[in-house]
Amino acid sequence: MAAGPTVKQILQTYPGKIRLVIKNYPYKYRDFARVAAEASLAAKDQGKYWEMHDILIARSPKLDRVSLIAYAGELGLDVNKFSESIDSGKHAKEIDGDVQLAESIDLFNTPTFYINGRQVVGERPFDYFKKIIDEELHQPGR
Amino acid sequence: MRKIAWIFLVALCLPLCGFAGQLESIKDVPIPQQNPQTPAKIELGKKLFFDRRLSGDGTMSCATCHDPQQGYSDGLEISLSYPTTRNWRNSPTLIGVAFQKYLFHDGRASSLEEQALFPMMSAFEMNQNLDFMEEEIRSVPEYVAEFAEVFGDPDVTRERIAMAIAAFERTLISRDAPLDRFLSGNKKGLSPEAVRGYKIFTGKGKCSECHFGVNLADDRFHALQVQENPEHLKDPRIAATRRFVAKVFHFEGYRTLAEDPGRYLITKDQKDWRAFKTPTLREIAGTAPYMHNGIYATLDEVIEFFNGGGGTGNAALKPLQLTPTEKGQLKVFLEEGLTGAPIRFIYPKIP
Repeated sequence: MAAGPTVKQILQTYPGKIRLVIKNYPYKYRDFARVAAEASLAAKDQGKYWEMHDILIARSPKLDRVSLIAYAGELGLDVNKFSESIDSGKHAKEIDGDVQLAESIDLFNTPTFYINGRQVVGERPFDYFKKIIDEELHQPGR
Repeated sequence: MRKIAWIFLVALCLPLCGFAGQLESIKDVPIPQQNPQTPAKIELGKKLFFDRRLSGDGTMSCATCHDPQQGYSDGLEISLSYPTTRNWRNSPTLIGVAFQKYLFHDGRASSLEEQALFPMMSAFEMNQNLDFMEEEIRSVPEYVAEFAEVFGDPDVTRERIAMAIAAFERTLISRDAPLDRFLSGNKKGLSPEAVRGYKIFTGKGKCSECHFGVNLADDRFHALQVQENPEHLKDPRIAATRRFVAKVFHFEGYRTLAEDPGRYLITKDQKDWRAFKTPTLREIAGTAPYMHNGIYATLDEVIEFFNGGGGTGNAALKPLQLTPTEKGQLKVFLEEGLTGAPIRFIYPKIP
């Protein structure tokens, strides 16, 4: 599911008030989930995380290595650097750490959000998040 | 004799849902003779309910879509689904399921024991092979010991798994709602505004024609012509789910099916085309969004739908002409009057 547009709307609505941390949870039975996570982080290294994220969602499930490299080209990334990154599993440790973190807190569904520790499972409309964020922002001391 | 004939004729002419039923306060939960409740069985059922082993890839449990924190629903328009697929209907709350004659929006199951296995097998829900599941559970010594304690011998079968889960589900009851206090004779059980709403509920609003009894539901199916969600109609994954279910239920036109046939899939009776089960209204304030496809996010939208006489072309409802004040009072009754004491819950430790 694609929660990206909602997340962007949240960031635009609350400038300077939201710190977004993204963790990867590539689905273990999907052939290209892992390499797609690598691709998003390789694109992040070149400053185009969201651009790659959006293209991955739009073109899924066509996420094989050759397609990913073609997307990198479309986005104007340094394709050699990008290919080297996904081939060597440059971000493998980071992704493994994310998966372990998710499983350690019994989290298996994507997307799952934590807003100051409040868990939200699944894609939700903007207003659903807004209510929680407004409540959190109005907590004393925030 | 003539009078008797008239009464008979009048009875024949009554619409399916044409008279207001009595609302009832919470009473004893019906327990089937073949599956008596025991504390050990309930505890086992609770563990199984939260155990992801019941899904094919180990990511889903019953609680994924029936989350205690979300009123035993999941708060989404359409229910969560097996990874890479999409569900097609809203996850109904489990609160009060013990009182239901039929389960699922289309009523395909008539006991909780029967119901429990459907989502486990369903390709777009838990996608588990039941033969395999039995062996996965049997490979956990703590479970085997519990099955022996609960059922008298250690055999692990899908039927026993379903029996234990059903026993747990029969404990999910909304109790001590203001309506219950009111119906038990405490005139101050409902606030004055909620009493006004109650009068609309049972009178001008005609809600109690279908929402009556202890569970505020008539155990019947009505074609209100709730609109399809255009976004869902465009999603090929939902189309796959819809056609899959239709195929399983031997619906001839499954290849091109473009809407949810509802109860028709089960009965093949034309009057059931797009008919869905009347849901319970207990704890309704905490189980949004509403209708079988979650099309309405708020109770205001639902009240507006009924006030306008339901969906285009339906024969079950007529416009109600409620004033804005009356709609507000009705909402107060639904929110305040039908919300019981919090259901105490402690997460089980999964072996």
